[in-house]
Amino acid sequence: MRINKDMKMAEVIHLNHHLLPILNRFDIHLGFGERSVEAVCKDHELNINFFLEIVNTFHDATYFPVRHLQSFKASMLIDYLQKTHAYYLELKIPEIGQYIRLITQEENLQTSHKKLLQDFFDSYQLELTTHINKEEQRVYPYVISLENVLDNPASTIDDLSELSKYSIHEYEEDHDDVEAKLFDLKNIIIKYLPPSKNNRLLNVILHEIFELERDLNNHGHIEDLILVPIVENMEKALRERLKNLSGNA
Amino acid sequence: MIREGIKTMLSNLGNPYRMEEIDTPVDDLEKHINKLHPTLIMINPVLIPKMVTLPRDSESDCNPLFIGLITENASIQTKSKFDILLNLDGDRNELFKTMEKVMQLLGKTQNETDNNTLSERELSILKLVALGNTNNEIAERLFISTHTVMTHRKNITRKLGIKTVSGLTVYAILNQHIKMEEIQASE
Repeated sequence: MRINKDMKMAEVIHLNHHLLPILNRFDIHLGFGERSVEAVCKDHELNINFFLEIVNTFHDATYFPVRHLQSFKASMLIDYLQKTHAYYLELKIPEIGQYIRLITQEENLQTSHKKLLQDFFDSYQLELTTHINKEEQRVYPYVISLENVLDNPASTIDDLSELSKYSIHEYEEDHDDVEAKLFDLKNIIIKYLPPSKNNRLLNVILHEIFELERDLNNHGHIEDLILVPIVENMEKALRERLKNLSGNA
Repeated sequence: MIREGIKTMLSNLGNPYRMEEIDTPVDDLEKHINKLHPTLIMINPVLIPKMVTLPRDSESDCNPLFIGLITENASIQTKSKFDILLNLDGDRNELFKTMEKVMQLLGKTQNETDNNTLSERELSILKLVALGNTNNEIAERLFISTHTVMTHRKNITRKLGIKTVSGLTVYAILNQHIKMEEIQASE
């Protein structure tokens, strides 16, 4: 079922409560009373179409309207992606880390096994953090500069040619390696950990990992299938403008 | 409508799956294949009349099966491009038989999915990987080719559901195939 602007926001949560973290990213929190999706978006000064496309792609994995999403401003998309990164690094990962620490403290495991699990998770945390930082420090600023230069009608040939030296493909990072470790952690917990006194806690950890994985997956798709083509189009526009300006000089 | 029908059919087969729908023009297809690593690709050739050849990369380790969604009156040329043809005019039985054939081709028979114990050879390779050896080093140790090592590793991953070296190490220790001290010694 497609989420639309006339539904009540409360209905959206009843439909799929996994959307809550996504809503939080737009600064929308529980307690919306009877207000419609449209009303809530207006209150938060959000682009309603962008909001709907984002929640619908998350809600239905087979819905991915590449062309629609590519028509949005890059800066709006980047803002959303940055908030998603913050969710991972500041909320989700530390939370899972806490649970893992609890398990390794109370566990029936040998000391060496405790260290094993802790180390494995720590190295996953490091890999994900490194990957995200690279994107925030290299890719996103580049995209914003590109958009700024293109939006400014007074941009000079120098401004344009400086940016034309780069390409999004230089920065494209493989998401696969980072995903693989999380996938492994999941399987280790499901299949290979020895019997535990703390089954409830393990269940919680597993549930959190499944949620994280789904979110990361959706995030990766947005970056690969939406952001990259948007940037490619901007790079093309940049080259065209440079050509025209140089031609008239 | 065809997409909805396919989704229903796939879910009736009982195997877990993930489906992505693409709306892009076909010159993007290769990029999607590289990003998503699909096992199967279903294409309705009527919707992409300009497509001459399907993007197949014999070098890559991702070789999806191309399924053509065709009707009875499709040309031989169109039909010959695909690995398997799904007849849109066919009745239910025909459709299910075709999907069973697809599953067989993918090797997902009942026996394979139940068998996840490692062979002796795979166990030796697992230990060597967990101790930090490269594919080349393992190949030399066991007097086999690097290509064989990689095939064994793919099978190990498929059976265990573990992809990374550190994941395999954790598995090896938890199942007592190697000890923590051995790892520290090899570092």
